[in-house]
Amino acid sequence: MDRWFLIAATLLAAVGGALGMLSVHHGSRSKWTVLWMAGAFLCQLGFLVLRGEARGACPLRDLGEILTYLAWSLTLFYLLVGPPYRISLLGVFTAPLIVVFQACALIPGILTAHPTRVLVSNAWGETHSATSVLAYGALALAAVAGVMFLVLDKQLKAHHLKSGLFRNLPPVHELRISLQRLLWLGGALLSVGIVAGFLMPHKQGTEGHFIAAVSVWLGYALLIGIMQVRGMTGRRLSLSAVGLFIGSLVVFAFV
Amino acid sequence: MQVRERFAIGTPKLGQASHDLLAGVDAAEAVVISTCNRTEFYLAAEDADAALDRLGSRLAAQVPENADLPSHFYHLQKGEAARHLCRVVSGLDSMVLGETEIFGQVKQAYQAALGAGATSGVLNRLFQRAFGVGKKVRTETAIQEGSTSIGNVAVDLAEKIFGHLKDSEVMVLGAGEMSRLTAQALVSRGARSIFVANRSYDRAVELATEMNGKAVKFDEWQSVLEKVDVVISSTGAPHAIIHRADVEKARRARKFRPLFFIDIAVPRDIEPTVGEIEEVYLYDIDTLEQLAEEARVRRQKQIEECERIIDAELKKLSLPGT
Repeated sequence: MDRWFLIAATLLAAVGGALGMLSVHHGSRSKWTVLWMAGAFLCQLGFLVLRGEARGACPLRDLGEILTYLAWSLTLFYLLVGPPYRISLLGVFTAPLIVVFQACALIPGILTAHPTRVLVSNAWGETHSATSVLAYGALALAAVAGVMFLVLDKQLKAHHLKSGLFRNLPPVHELRISLQRLLWLGGALLSVGIVAGFLMPHKQGTEGHFIAAVSVWLGYALLIGIMQVRGMTGRRLSLSAVGLFIGSLVVFAFV
Repeated sequence: MQVRERFAIGTPKLGQASHDLLAGVDAAEAVVISTCNRTEFYLAAEDADAALDRLGSRLAAQVPENADLPSHFYHLQKGEAARHLCRVVSGLDSMVLGETEIFGQVKQAYQAALGAGATSGVLNRLFQRAFGVGKKVRTETAIQEGSTSIGNVAVDLAEKIFGHLKDSEVMVLGAGEMSRLTAQALVSRGARSIFVANRSYDRAVELATEMNGKAVKFDEWQSVLEKVDVVISSTGAPHAIIHRADVEKARRARKFRPLFFIDIAVPRDIEPTVGEIEEVYLYDIDTLEQLAEEARVRRQKQIEECERIIDAELKKLSLPGT
């Protein structure tokens, strides 16, 4: 049953993204994307609830669950940021990433078919996993906003202003502000995750994960620091947000 | 223009003018529309031809005897009049094709006539349906898309960069007519403050006062660059006055915030390499004019589709008298 929820969530995001792209291509606003994404969010929630009940703990025990939780948090932040700031196009850019994460989770062997109940859990460990993956959702959305910025910036620089995509993209300033806020939010959540990670009991052989996680945190801390103190061009900020997010996925190799 | 001036009626007087027309031409209903480009009289009468003759005589009395009246007036009846009204509210009969202001102006004129008791069943239905058709035309076609003047193209671009302009500051270099118009367009959309720098300081003060802005000595414009978001340049200098090095110097202090340069001078005031700076968006007069022209062409291409919608809607609605 949980798998069906995940399949439904993936299909809803795929359809929402495709329809959104189609309407943007025709030069109109992708106003229904938010509804498709809300549907995907509910299905993700259904999946996570079922897995959580089966585990008796936070469903972050295998790569499939982590990827789905990541897609869920990405959808959550999109729903929080997109409609209120009238960045409907954010959904069109976010949907493909959600589809990729969930499609990876659906690859046979990635998601444990019969999740076993967790007998011993630790509050710090649960906090570490939950807030870290939540942070990745915010940082993934920051990367999506970064891609949107780069597209708009290129079009404005090259004076290519005729496409439907250009007409539908939000202003440079709004994308920059959203990107900065998401970086702050993701950075703050990641910090909580890192602190909780220090406080949780450690098993042997988790050094790689530890080094990767701290490196990612340092990378984002440096980016936020430079952005805040010295300032950065929108293009560099966007490239850094995209690059850091792609690089930060290395952490999952050590899960 | 001289003829149009004679018949122009101020907005506050439109209701009274419509009411006066009822008795003046013996019509049952009347609406008077008066904008910078037209004065139109919409009448509903038992004997339409007689009412039209009386209106013609009234109008003729207002122009000099030697004026060539037929070339200035035209009249349409029944379906053609309804079709014309739909074209007017859709912006198809405007000087700037597809402009949006006319919709509000016609609505205001109709409301004034309605308020003055000059309309009833026929014209109420006609105008209300025409507004519906106008809305449909504007929603379903691209007749009002894009800006058709350099000033508005610049403002649209500024909004694409900064969003709402209420937090944006503008510097005008050179107090010529083009820069004044562009700056005015930015102010009308909410730009927060304007700085004007001109070789003649008195002229800078004059323009700054007119726009509620601040005059700056011409050799001090570089220090203002640190705080503004938009620079409009039109100085008439024979060579570039804004060099890449000038902008590079201000970048750090600006914390690399976006900067929009509008160069409407010929020869250009801004070195083209300024546009290579990452956070700078540089548009010269040729690019702006090309964008405005493209919008005009796009609107022209929409006319046929608009006419088709109007015809289809008129058929569907079976308006009175059609």
